[in-house]
Amino acid sequence: MSAIEETKTEIGVKSVAAGARPAASFVTKTLDLLSSVRFGVTLLMFVVVLSMIGMLIMQKNVEGFEKYFADMTPASRMLWGTLGFFDVYHAWYFNLLLLVLSLNIVLASIDRFPKAWTFVSKPKLDASEKWLRGQECHDALTLEADSRESATRRVTEACKSVGLKPRVTEKAGKTFVFAQRGTWNRLGAYAVHVALLTIFLGGFMTRMFDQNGQMPLRPGMKSNEMSDSVFNVGDGGLELSKATIPLPFEVECTDIQQKLIKQEGGIDAGNTIDWFTKIKIKDPQRGTTEAFVHLNNPFDYHGYRFFQASFINVGRARNVTLRLTREADGYQTDVTIPRDGTVKLSDGTRLDFVNFQPDFTMANGEAATASGEYNNPAAIINVTDAGGAQKRTFAFTRELPSGAPVGRAVGGYKFRIVGFEKVPDAHVLSIQKDPGATVFYIGSAMLIATLISVFFFSHRRVWALVEERGAGNYWVVLGGNANRNAVAFEEKFKRLVAILSGEQVGNADASEVQP
Amino acid sequence: MSEVLKHPAQLGSPNLDTSGWSVRSYLPAALPVAGALLMLLLRIQMGGEHFINDGALMMLALAGYIIGGVFLLVNLYAPSGMSQKIGLWAGGLGVFCNLSSWLVRWVASHDRELAILQNNGYGAGQMPWLWRYIPFANLYDLSLAFAFGAGVTTMLVSGRKSFRFIGAMSLPLASLVLILARFIGNEFINLPPVLDSYWRPIHVGTASLSYGIALVCFASAVLYLLKAGTKPESMAIWACLFALGVFSTIGRFGVFTSGVYTASTFMQGSRMALPLRVNIPWVGLLIILAALLFVAAAALFLSNRTKNDEKMRRLGHHFLKATLVVQALAIVLLVAQIKNGAPLAACPASGGFNQRCYETAQYMKVGEWLASQQGLSVEEVKALTPTQLTGAAEEFVKARNSQLTLSTNANPVELSALITVFAATLFVNIFGFKTEKLRAALPSAEKLDSLMYKTASVAFAGLAILLITGAIWANESWGRYWGWDSKETGAFVAWLTYGGFLHARIARGLTGKRSAYFAIVAFLLVIFTYLGVSYLIPGLHSYA
Repeated sequence: MSAIEETKTEIGVKSVAAGARPAASFVTKTLDLLSSVRFGVTLLMFVVVLSMIGMLIMQKNVEGFEKYFADMTPASRMLWGTLGFFDVYHAWYFNLLLLVLSLNIVLASIDRFPKAWTFVSKPKLDASEKWLRGQECHDALTLEADSRESATRRVTEACKSVGLKPRVTEKAGKTFVFAQRGTWNRLGAYAVHVALLTIFLGGFMTRMFDQNGQMPLRPGMKSNEMSDSVFNVGDGGLELSKATIPLPFEVECTDIQQKLIKQEGGIDAGNTIDWFTKIKIKDPQRGTTEAFVHLNNPFDYHGYRFFQASFINVGRARNVTLRLTREADGYQTDVTIPRDGTVKLSDGTRLDFVNFQPDFTMANGEAATASGEYNNPAAIINVTDAGGAQKRTFAFTRELPSGAPVGRAVGGYKFRIVGFEKVPDAHVLSIQKDPGATVFYIGSAMLIATLISVFFFSHRRVWALVEERGAGNYWVVLGGNANRNAVAFEEKFKRLVAILSGEQVGNADASEVQP
Repeated sequence: MSEVLKHPAQLGSPNLDTSGWSVRSYLPAALPVAGALLMLLLRIQMGGEHFINDGALMMLALAGYIIGGVFLLVNLYAPSGMSQKIGLWAGGLGVFCNLSSWLVRWVASHDRELAILQNNGYGAGQMPWLWRYIPFANLYDLSLAFAFGAGVTTMLVSGRKSFRFIGAMSLPLASLVLILARFIGNEFINLPPVLDSYWRPIHVGTASLSYGIALVCFASAVLYLLKAGTKPESMAIWACLFALGVFSTIGRFGVFTSGVYTASTFMQGSRMALPLRVNIPWVGLLIILAALLFVAAAALFLSNRTKNDEKMRRLGHHFLKATLVVQALAIVLLVAQIKNGAPLAACPASGGFNQRCYETAQYMKVGEWLASQQGLSVEEVKALTPTQLTGAAEEFVKARNSQLTLSTNANPVELSALITVFAATLFVNIFGFKTEKLRAALPSAEKLDSLMYKTASVAFAGLAILLITGAIWANESWGRYWGWDSKETGAFVAWLTYGGFLHARIARGLTGKRSAYFAIVAFLLVIFTYLGVSYLIPGLHSYA
């Protein structure tokens, strides 16, 4: 409480001084406003209100904005659009608000810092008896001692034993003991503000230099650019603009895999434990790097980060196991072919796994899929016999009647799928380069450390005035305060007095606990 | 503080330290936590079959909090060591059951998925790690942890004698959170893969604890305002506004316009609420009556502020009691009719508003919902004619009619909001009863203020850690640390408001009661973030 009271008095003094000044200039008035805490609190509330608007009105980058926008009346579309409420966090006035808030934090801190610094630079070393008795905690007692020095020593020893660091001064024939702990706590609030400004700086850097995009990948695919799509609310309604951002390296996908909970279930997110993507980064300067990206586990590459972002929910097979039945003698064998892979049989026949359709259908004479789900899986296989003649065939999970045209033997074999590993058509990686993130992280670490140092510690001060009252009797007046956690300080103070008066402390463990 | 050490003669007295923090003062919080850890070990040892399940433990926790709250409240009016003791013990047992429930749920969730994975041919080496099953997967888990946060903070604060009153306010609030949890339902879900990160327990754990501390801060802010002279009548006016807000939005904004409260339906077996709502007879009318009585009370109190007419004030209090009774009736009736398992049917063409049936006028909405469920895009749905939509809906509803059910789980937020309005009305009534006696029983304004400041500081630091851990996690899994997602923004806004509170205390003209308003608004924003964002606003945090 004392910190507040001290600040209150400080403000009181300040306002009196301001009133005494005849006519403050415009600049002074503006500076006074910009550095006032009240103004800062007002700004905070503006940020709160604008953020609430941003929460209640759907923002244009949120999924489902298209539907939301389509359902709106033209009048509200125009009104919110003009006010910038579809993208309130990037509106000029929001940025201005954050800028003024930063300025306020800086100026208010500069305004108040010197006062806080005096706790470090010019600690109050002595105090009158009247002042001491005006403190939150105060007491007086008589000590019997050989000399003033030994009486003073008892006071300093007692201070040390409750963890306060004493200093002794003499003034006008009186001895003063000043003991304190945690002076730096007075500066904690300023450190918090420095941390906040660091975070703001990180955010600003992200805004200026951040590169972000998506890259869909299926095995074998190569790309050296990422795409970034943005909705723009224009005069003609909603426009989707797509930008491609070139990368200084090429990314090649070597494998994708989806780890499912239930093998018989679909590849939806609800049945998934993780998505794995294996890539090769081919950098003209640094050579080739192999990387493994999975959910919540990005890969870092020279300032670029690769994230497992999403997947294209059309079922494919990472590998397929086929049962081959030789037409000539009915001999059966199982072969497993990886996605886009090839297998050579002992008789010289080559099988190429061309494609996989989860819900097989024919469209315009081509194999296609009716949906993304595994309703009727089919593997499309190119069969090349030993003589080099190539034919295409389809393998299904069910046995086909031998009369059906698709069920005919090709290259001397009939094919049936007996197993396959489910995998989506493609994984989408998001790629990010954000130099602001590091600054943001530093600011965050500072913020946590400083907040803890501010709120979980306090600056505790005790003063003692030692006066001789004749015949080896010394009159000691004690007073003290703390800027935070007054109750714990009260305990400490009581214990100090108890030690001085030489009495047993009732509950010795009490003061050891620091809440 | 003022009474400290005026009399040096008292110094050696044995009860010197009783008002401070000692090891013993941590016991009310430490014992339940230790007990719950023991329960965890027991659950692991004994397996799930013969062990009390998490749902039952949660109900016990709810009972503990309610009993604790009642006894501590009684203790304020009729101070007695006995009722305080019972209150604190009940609260402590509540905390124990609450944490036990959460821990047992952790093990149960692990057992459940282990069985599924083993059935699917996963070997021991491929098993996901244990952190995956920490119960922070949906709003039920979070509510359980939130209530624990509030309960354990209450017990921690109660370690100090002069703060033992706080449970009278904070334990009932914690019970409301558990009631919400009860309505959400404790079914296990498959964890959305994006949540499978070690940041989840760190991030959500911080959330639940800081929310709990914020709840205690809110409780002390309300009591501070009461102590600092805010009249229960003024609180009644605010409670009335809150009640009107809730009453007008529930039942698809229809209670005041149609006079009918409608409850959401479930399709049996699925836990997805259908956009088909069932008329609940009388409940709508009772809610309107409750609102009218509340408005009458508020109007009388409002005019009493200017005219200072004692008769008006007293009449207002009568209305306030009446609305409480009517609200209780409405809630009881509503729950009774939801629990009534009788089959549902379509309403007749006219006069259906006092029958337990569904209006066919909703078919249009159901049709649109069906179409979007089938994967049609916005334009495709728009292209469908009303006849097509209603036709499809009618067919769907008729085919599944026997599967349609009402459930308290179908709309947890509406039910909890009704109960929260009831609790707010109850507390305003309690505050209005022998207000001066209550004021005198509360500790000094400085003490209340110090508790408010302390909890707000910790909540502020906690929310800062919440925001930062969330940002780090977001950067690890989404590739950006800050994206103004609605949940992020909500937590940010609540944090700013606590920041506002801390700064208001040192700003000219914003001290005292005004700073307490910041603490109240900040907690309301916490609740908005916790519920509103999940249920009302689309965003990346839609799972919880």
